[in-house]
Amino acid sequence: MTIEVSSLKELVEQASGDDRSPDTQEYFVNMGPQHPSTHGVLRLVLKLDGERVLRCIPVLGYIHRSIEKISEHMNYMNCVHLTDRMDYLSSIMNNWAVSKAVEEAAGIEVNSRIQYIRTIFAELERIQSHQLWWGVLGMDLGAFTPFLYGIRDREVLNDVMEETVGARLTMNYVLPGGLMADIHPNFVHRVKEFIKYFRPKLDEYDDLLTNNVIIQERLRNVGVLSAQTAVQYGATGPVLRGSGVAFDLRKDHPYGVYDQADFEVPVGTVGDSWDRYWVRVEEMRQSLNIVEQLLDNIPPGDFLVKKLNSKIKIPEGRYYSQLETARGILGVFIASDKKDEPYRMHYRSPNFNNLWCLEPMIKGDYIASLIGAMSSLDLVIPDIDR
Amino acid sequence: MATTTPVPTETECPPMDFGDLKSECVAPRPSIMGQKRSLRSILWLSFKGILRGLLTTLSYFRRPSTVVTQQYPENRETLEMFERYRGRLSLIHNEEGEHGCTACQICERLCPNASIIITKDKKNEATGKPALDQFIWRQDTCTFCNICVLVCPFDTLEMTGDFESSVYDRRLLVFNLNEYAGPTAGQLDKLDDEELAKEQMKPMKKYQGPIPMCGGEMDGIPKLDVEKSTDV
Repeated sequence: MTIEVSSLKELVEQASGDDRSPDTQEYFVNMGPQHPSTHGVLRLVLKLDGERVLRCIPVLGYIHRSIEKISEHMNYMNCVHLTDRMDYLSSIMNNWAVSKAVEEAAGIEVNSRIQYIRTIFAELERIQSHQLWWGVLGMDLGAFTPFLYGIRDREVLNDVMEETVGARLTMNYVLPGGLMADIHPNFVHRVKEFIKYFRPKLDEYDDLLTNNVIIQERLRNVGVLSAQTAVQYGATGPVLRGSGVAFDLRKDHPYGVYDQADFEVPVGTVGDSWDRYWVRVEEMRQSLNIVEQLLDNIPPGDFLVKKLNSKIKIPEGRYYSQLETARGILGVFIASDKKDEPYRMHYRSPNFNNLWCLEPMIKGDYIASLIGAMSSLDLVIPDIDR
Repeated sequence: MATTTPVPTETECPPMDFGDLKSECVAPRPSIMGQKRSLRSILWLSFKGILRGLLTTLSYFRRPSTVVTQQYPENRETLEMFERYRGRLSLIHNEEGEHGCTACQICERLCPNASIIITKDKKNEATGKPALDQFIWRQDTCTFCNICVLVCPFDTLEMTGDFESSVYDRRLLVFNLNEYAGPTAGQLDKLDDEELAKEQMKPMKKYQGPIPMCGGEMDGIPKLDVEKSTDV
């Protein structure tokens, strides 16, 4: 694999060159950092020939908050709440990733009640993340109604989670060694109500967007990402599975109590935006199945196995742990020097790798396709920069 | 600004072996336009797809009660937040206005972004034990992570459902949570002399007043002219 390193300035100069003729010429356009369809402050430098995209260079760093550096001055309990602010649509899964890494490194064993609740919450969070993505995809492609529908159903689910957690977006619910609070007495009942409410709504989603010919035409065979390229670029989650690689940590390296749930992993065949769309919609159905199976079997027990203090000390060494968030694999790397603070903390965030798939996906296609393809990647920009 | 541009090398790369992955394969690809169809059937299916979407939206006119709308802020009077909702932090005071904070400073130590600052009397005159002087909470830096509530050994802190906190000057978001500077409810009960106990609850010299901090000066926070700020 060859890697060329060139500055943005060089690229621009190369493209424009000395050509001053009035004929068409290649030119550069900035998309973002304040473009509404980039869902945040992502800047894409597009090299265009007319309306065709020849190159697409993402420029990062507009929302960098140095979460990894701040973590070096915090104990492991406090590190967790910063991860809410990375991929804010899967905050509990981010919390869990850090907690899992710390628990594995420090040798803390949590009871099965905690694992059940964590798994249920992770799946509920996956559903609400995909609901928002579904609405936003519709909005990016020019239909405003799906956004309202997606947000409406997400509101119902958000209320269910809010009752237990106490927060709506930056939840900070999972701690190393347990949970912030036990589930609310109403929780099981309300989740069951939600499942009953949401199943028919998924069919409504199909009526509204999936079967619509405009959406089909704008997603089908657009932004094709081959399985090889997806693996080369380190794409994970629905982006990888949409390209036909059946790799899901929940199935292949089960954590939590995923091994006790019966579910299928949707996989695409072509690798276009449409496959990624279908994989996510199908994942919502599978997540509902997982929640339904686990909900009645929550065993009794404590919600916190360790006495709360800041002194979780990890033996010297390097530790890595990963799990599947709504967007792909979130890896947590901890280098420890026996103190209660990490010496170095690194996050392998799914969105960072998924973002780079944009260029091979969209090369030679129209700008309008870029919007659809980017929406099907489901990027959360704060997770890219951290 | 240097950018790395990896060049896709699909042709050079040998076919990849993904190992034996256990994931099952569901490949849902229902298709309207995928197969070869006549133009007429394509047009009909397209029309049907759009019509179904429109009918879905229209059907909500028949059942408006299923549409969720929060009438905020009109429903302020009746709006109830969840019991565990993380809003403004508060120090719990009982009916007699006594708090239970012993100024042990555990919450201050474990606060991830130093939003809690506690000052204390090292030795209270009446009880001879340390007593709380000021419990300062800076909402402007707080991330509502709930750790202070969780670690408090005496359960004296709680997050209230109060979420409306917009102000024009962020210095107004510095709160003094305790209503008096002095010993806890338990320590005051042990005192035999009731008048002495009441005296302990009177405002002390160091005590800056009720919330918000009324222009008190702190490290990193210059003196605030409250009258000017609140006029805005």
